[in-house]
Amino acid sequence: MSTVSTRAPARPAPTTDRHPPSRRRRQVRERQWPAYVFLTPWMIGALVLTLVPMAVSLYLSFTDYNLFDPPHWVGLRNYTEMLTDDPRYWRSVGTTMLYVVVAVPLKLGLALAVATLLKNLDRGRAFYRSAFYAPSLLGASMSIALVWRALFNDGGTVSDILDSVGIHAGGWVGNPDLAVYVVVLLTVWQFGAPMVIFLAGLQQISPDLYEAAALDGAGRWRQFVSITVPMLSPVVFFNLVLEIINSFQVFTPAFVISGGKGGPADSTMFYTLYLYERGFTASHMGYAAAMAWMLLIAIAAITLILFRTSRSWVFYADEEGR
Amino acid sequence: MPEPRSGRRPLPRRAVLAAAAVGLSTALTSTLSACSTASGSTSSGVTLTFSWWGNDDRAARTEQAVRLFEKEHPGVTVRTSSGDFGAYLQKLATQAAGGGMPDVAQLDYRQVSQYAGGGALMSLDDAMKDKTIRTSEMSRDFLRTGTYKGGQYALPMGRGITGYAYDAAVYKKAGIPTPQPSWTWQDWEKADKRIAALGLKSPDGRPYTGANDGGGNEDVFETWLRSRGGKLYASQTELGFTEDDLTAFWTFCDRLRREGAIAQARDTVQANSTETSPIGRGLAAADFTWDAPFPSYPVLLGDSVHFAPVPTTDGRQGAYFKPSMLIGIGAHSEHPKEAAQLVDFLLNDQRVGDILAFSRSTPPNRKIAARVAKTLKGPEREIYEYAQTMERYGLDAPPTAPPRGDVAVQTAFIREYQRVMYGLATPRQAARELIDEADRELRS
Repeated sequence: MSTVSTRAPARPAPTTDRHPPSRRRRQVRERQWPAYVFLTPWMIGALVLTLVPMAVSLYLSFTDYNLFDPPHWVGLRNYTEMLTDDPRYWRSVGTTMLYVVVAVPLKLGLALAVATLLKNLDRGRAFYRSAFYAPSLLGASMSIALVWRALFNDGGTVSDILDSVGIHAGGWVGNPDLAVYVVVLLTVWQFGAPMVIFLAGLQQISPDLYEAAALDGAGRWRQFVSITVPMLSPVVFFNLVLEIINSFQVFTPAFVISGGKGGPADSTMFYTLYLYERGFTASHMGYAAAMAWMLLIAIAAITLILFRTSRSWVFYADEEGR
Repeated sequence: MPEPRSGRRPLPRRAVLAAAAVGLSTALTSTLSACSTASGSTSSGVTLTFSWWGNDDRAARTEQAVRLFEKEHPGVTVRTSSGDFGAYLQKLATQAAGGGMPDVAQLDYRQVSQYAGGGALMSLDDAMKDKTIRTSEMSRDFLRTGTYKGGQYALPMGRGITGYAYDAAVYKKAGIPTPQPSWTWQDWEKADKRIAALGLKSPDGRPYTGANDGGGNEDVFETWLRSRGGKLYASQTELGFTEDDLTAFWTFCDRLRREGAIAQARDTVQANSTETSPIGRGLAAADFTWDAPFPSYPVLLGDSVHFAPVPTTDGRQGAYFKPSMLIGIGAHSEHPKEAAQLVDFLLNDQRVGDILAFSRSTPPNRKIAARVAKTLKGPEREIYEYAQTMERYGLDAPPTAPPRGDVAVQTAFIREYQRVMYGLATPRQAARELIDEADRELRS
């Protein structure tokens, strides 16, 4: 158990030990250095691949940089232009918010529903768990996004099926009102990852609680609301935070489905796609870096708010009685 | 203290925090780390790097030409790399930014100003003066497409021209005469309406129209503009057209689409290849396109598809010969002499001409073009003859390379016209938005 190591040694007052504090400190230090040795590869990676690029990107966000000429310091101009003088920036924020607000609840709801069904399954749970998880492994790939694009194109499977039942909507990809939902559906389809976490969380809940509730005459719905939901709330919270963070960064499916253009008419121009367009198509790397930092700040703020509100609805069993 | 139940530990709050922190840090790095550059070291002798974009056929032919160069220049090794267009442009930009520009690189027309102005390309003036690179068999006007502020920074590798792929069988059925180099935009409008009036149906049962909708295509707009004596750019920092020009063009296209004479919005936004274009899907009789991709149309749609000139304004042709791609030398090349020799070899060697043939459209070297043309058949022969017809008809001189902001303007052009098509903006509103955006791009 990890708690053992942090406990004070249960020894009587030291009479023979001359330098107990410094020795203990040395012991701690001696115990810690192998950890740093083993962490070195990771730390070098974090430094070179994450921290240094982050620092450079912070610097670039205050410059005008077109990849060819040296960066030119412009102070806060990128930020002020973005916030006050770029209608497309705000349109991309709106599109991304719509996506987050629709996709995250749908995905988590589906994940929880399927996890609840799987928990009560007596046989073949491992098979179904793998089967439902598979899209999460495949979904991030280019090929699946291409298949998705083909499904929802004009003359694709979806428009054929809808045609046959009398709904002549045409391809969704070419319709600015529907294109964003093609990306939403692709995301929701990958509900496997949160589902596995929900399933693990559901299995952690002591059956004693359900037994006791059943004895008291609680029905299934009552049990779900009064036992499952509060006991699962840390897992819900965990999934919610992760999914929101990931959803703000949606890129690959939108890039592939819209052919890299965020179209039609900017209807799938998500924040990251616009960032990418500013940086790599229009060569405004400074502006793109500033956008990346605004995204970081926004996600951090939203995460912070979630953590604040979580105190009122997330129930941690290990904090009981504190 | 509560007893911990063995094996049942709810998710601790700290774990959620840690996961959130990791997720957040990827916010910054995930999109931008998608690109990375790989650079190799020089082996013994001289190693040149050469990169281009294009399909497998072009790659195989180019490799063959490069191997021939290596054979004739012992001690010189050429390391090649190629990719598809979009990825290539982004990779090259990242390489150039990191000082790792290849010794020899195929360039897009739109890259010339950006790369030359940003100091990523070497001036070719000296190599041309001492005849390491020979240009005597190339048209002077055409060479101008690779200049920046008076200096030569790139040379055209192929010559392309806009045109109009159309189904001659449908035109005959509708009683429309074969389009001549002098046919006008009014003739085109009439043709589209007559075809729509035939009442033909597409394979999925929708009305068959006259042509694709060129409203979002900057090339079509440029042709239209030039036929009225205008130009896309007045200088490297200034547009050459006004809000009224663009409003007129978009109003024209928008009206024809609303009247059902040309393809619907949803079909235009999904067109990104011959197969997905309205003509390719049996939804229209014609497609504004380039000469180089034209041979794929008859392959897909049958021999009744032919190549015609784009419409004119009162006989004035807006089409012009444009470099389908150019070639340049990296500013920091360690072996500029060998790089220049490779460029000259690719452009002027007769055997290379035979190997590459029309894989980069018409070769700019006249002698090589004439020699290769003799072997051409079918659609390839048709586009070669088309180019000759247009040359005889008389075209205005091509403009200099578009300014660096053109890449952004071109994407804005597509997007703003999509806003018109979906009724999100009137032609005038969209034109104003485009001009505002273009001005911002050109000034920065």
